[in-house]
Amino acid sequence: MQGFDAKMRAFHRRSLLGCVISAPLLIATGALAQGSKTGIDINKWTPEYIRSIAGTETYDTAAECGKVVPTDYKGRLTYWWVGPTQAQPQIDHEMDKQFWEAFAKTYPNIQVTKQNLDYNDMLNKLRTAALGRAAPMVARLPILWGVEFAAKGQLMEFGPKDVGYSTDEFWPGAIKSVTWKNKTYGVPTNNETMALIWNANIFKEAGLDPEKPPQTWADVVAYSKQIKEKTGKNGYGLVARVNAGNTPFRFMPQLWAMGGGALDEAEDNPTYKQIMVNNPGSKQALQQVVDMYVRDKSVPTSALTNTQNQNQDPFIAGQLAMMISHPTEYAVMLDRAAKATGEDKKMADQVVSGMRYGLIPQGDKRRAVVFGGSNVHVFRPDLVEGGLDLNAAKAFVCFSTGPEWSTRYHWITSNPGNIRGFKTKAMKERLEQIKYLDVTTSMLPAGVPFPVLPQSTEIMNIIVPTMMQNALTGKMPVPEAADLAAKQIKELMNEF
Amino acid sequence: MTAALSPVPLAEGVRPERVKKPGLLRRIYKHRADYLYVLPAIGVMLLVIAYPIYDTIYLSFLNLPPNLAFEDAEFTGFNNYARILQAESFHEATWNTVVWTVFSTFIAFVLGFGAALALNGAFLGQGLLRGILLVPYVISAVAAAYVWRWIFHSDFGVIGAITVGLGLTARPINFLDSTSTVMASLILVNVWKEFPFAMIMMLAGLQTVPEQLMRAAKVDGASAWNRFWHVTFPHVRHVAVVTILLLLVANLNGFTIPYVMTGGGPAGASEIWITHIYQIAFGRIRFGLASAYSVILFIIMMVLGYFYVRALTRGDERTPS
Repeated sequence: MQGFDAKMRAFHRRSLLGCVISAPLLIATGALAQGSKTGIDINKWTPEYIRSIAGTETYDTAAECGKVVPTDYKGRLTYWWVGPTQAQPQIDHEMDKQFWEAFAKTYPNIQVTKQNLDYNDMLNKLRTAALGRAAPMVARLPILWGVEFAAKGQLMEFGPKDVGYSTDEFWPGAIKSVTWKNKTYGVPTNNETMALIWNANIFKEAGLDPEKPPQTWADVVAYSKQIKEKTGKNGYGLVARVNAGNTPFRFMPQLWAMGGGALDEAEDNPTYKQIMVNNPGSKQALQQVVDMYVRDKSVPTSALTNTQNQNQDPFIAGQLAMMISHPTEYAVMLDRAAKATGEDKKMADQVVSGMRYGLIPQGDKRRAVVFGGSNVHVFRPDLVEGGLDLNAAKAFVCFSTGPEWSTRYHWITSNPGNIRGFKTKAMKERLEQIKYLDVTTSMLPAGVPFPVLPQSTEIMNIIVPTMMQNALTGKMPVPEAADLAAKQIKELMNEF
Repeated sequence: MTAALSPVPLAEGVRPERVKKPGLLRRIYKHRADYLYVLPAIGVMLLVIAYPIYDTIYLSFLNLPPNLAFEDAEFTGFNNYARILQAESFHEATWNTVVWTVFSTFIAFVLGFGAALALNGAFLGQGLLRGILLVPYVISAVAAAYVWRWIFHSDFGVIGAITVGLGLTARPINFLDSTSTVMASLILVNVWKEFPFAMIMMLAGLQTVPEQLMRAAKVDGASAWNRFWHVTFPHVRHVAVVTILLLLVANLNGFTIPYVMTGGGPAGASEIWITHIYQIAFGRIRFGLASAYSVILFIIMMVLGYFYVRALTRGDERTPS
């Protein structure tokens, strides 16, 4: 514990407080049982344990992957992924560059044609490309999407064993997300959970304890209202845009916490057959966001058209008090503060110093967070434009999902999908450099994977956000909006 | 002049001789060179227009399985059409489409015609002003939609900042995140983008009004309104009809502005047919349903197209060959 404390001294004092509070709190709130959904045992994966194993092993990626595909293999690879965008910090771009350089050095004779696509564009493009037999050989997809392609029969049966890894090296929840009808259709690249971020300065200004985040979702509503009333600033960064991944990642934890869900994905033994989007817990969660948006007007009015990117500017400008996001948000804020000038710079620096991370609030039933991440998949040879070079695909998947690069590539954005990544030196460096990584990591046991169903994307990206919009715009009352969503989910489930 | 074009009257009791029209094949053979010239164009059109239309109609009668495997497709007759016509979202989108199309067309035409009338006379800076008014038309629709999205932004929009700064409103005006204002906001942007087109068309029409007639009407003491209504308007009527029809077609197909600015939201308040079809096809992967929807839209477009062609060819049949 002493060692742990010594290392923690490098971190901000507030972060330490959050970290020390977090672990016992999780146990006390029954998060232990929730760990079974992701297979992550909270008793083991404490911030202390994560720190204790970091940097204890070294890996030679080239040697490991060379056993799967010789490093002098000559071939070609086509690859699509949601990569770094202009909105992301410089370090993301640097890591991306380093990754491609390292791959080219290890496999100099594999010619790569790659496409970095925007999250909002990639799904439709990939669906169309696969239908038109113009799919890439390999695609890295957000955790929610892969099962749809697997159910359509467009992916090749391909798992960790095909690239020399065992399934035990990945989180069980992540392996579940690449499994369809007991067959494996991908390899997890990275997994993460989000946290609650708040601006301690605004809390203070609003008369709240700057070091005490809201403990429950009811507190979030109350804090948001108080902040708006006392400061005129928006309290909580609600996101309710349709067809944008940010919406379910922020709203589903609230729904689950209150005992709701789209289906029964948050229950201990999910069957994905029970529709829960209109149960009392779901309605209560929906009512909470309606209270914030309509009654209290304590969240951005533009929540219906915003993505999380549009919450970043008001946050760094000191105009937004709370939001839910990745560990990467701290780096984003540092990046933005570095680019600001004059008065803006002063404000941005104040915000960065007042930035705090805490656990996502709990509800009446549980504390929950989306078990997020990405998986890499290989498309069926007849759907790939120009044919599939299986060895090139294997070499790439092995290289990118190994302990070294699954840690390094997601430097600030996520955590390694390959659990051995936690033992790398890179992980140790990350823990020393990235503030609040321990807080977001300690949310992992509370992670709930999205339903592993081909209908999941439509449920999470269209039906649930539409339900929110129907209620938030006053188009229909909360119970009616929830019932309509339940009807739509039922129809969708019957169609497949 | 008119008498020269009139048919020669026949003597009483003489029956007009029936001229036998040559058969279709004979006529094609006679004009074989003409047909050969257009054959490549017809081939391309068959490939890129006729085949997709056929395929869309075919798809509209099918229920495709989730894997979209055509060999497992189920023929469902008019089931997709029935589903669409019964769906509440269709009625909502239809109403939105009518509002979007009618208001966008009407306002863009009136503004464009007004601008054309104002710019028709000779005055200093006329060319410059015409150029400036054309700017919205030449800007990329995607770029314009993004800029307007930020201008209208409900929290940090320029308009909201100005109204709050001037004390006109306590909070920024909610343009895009309210079901009651979103459509009007989108129409405003669409009109801004389209009215230069109407202006150019009508300006071209105004150039054809004979100067002598206008001078004669002035000499006869006709008021400005009478000169417009009895001299100008009859000359530009056909151009106006063509312009309105083109605007109607463009607006029915107007995808970029609503999709980029709101994606059809909030709560479907700005969902029009074309964005709804896109959402069904590519957001929800229901190609059969989306195809049936497209066929309905296609039929409506064909009706408009018929009137457009009629308006374009009006008078052609009276032209002596």
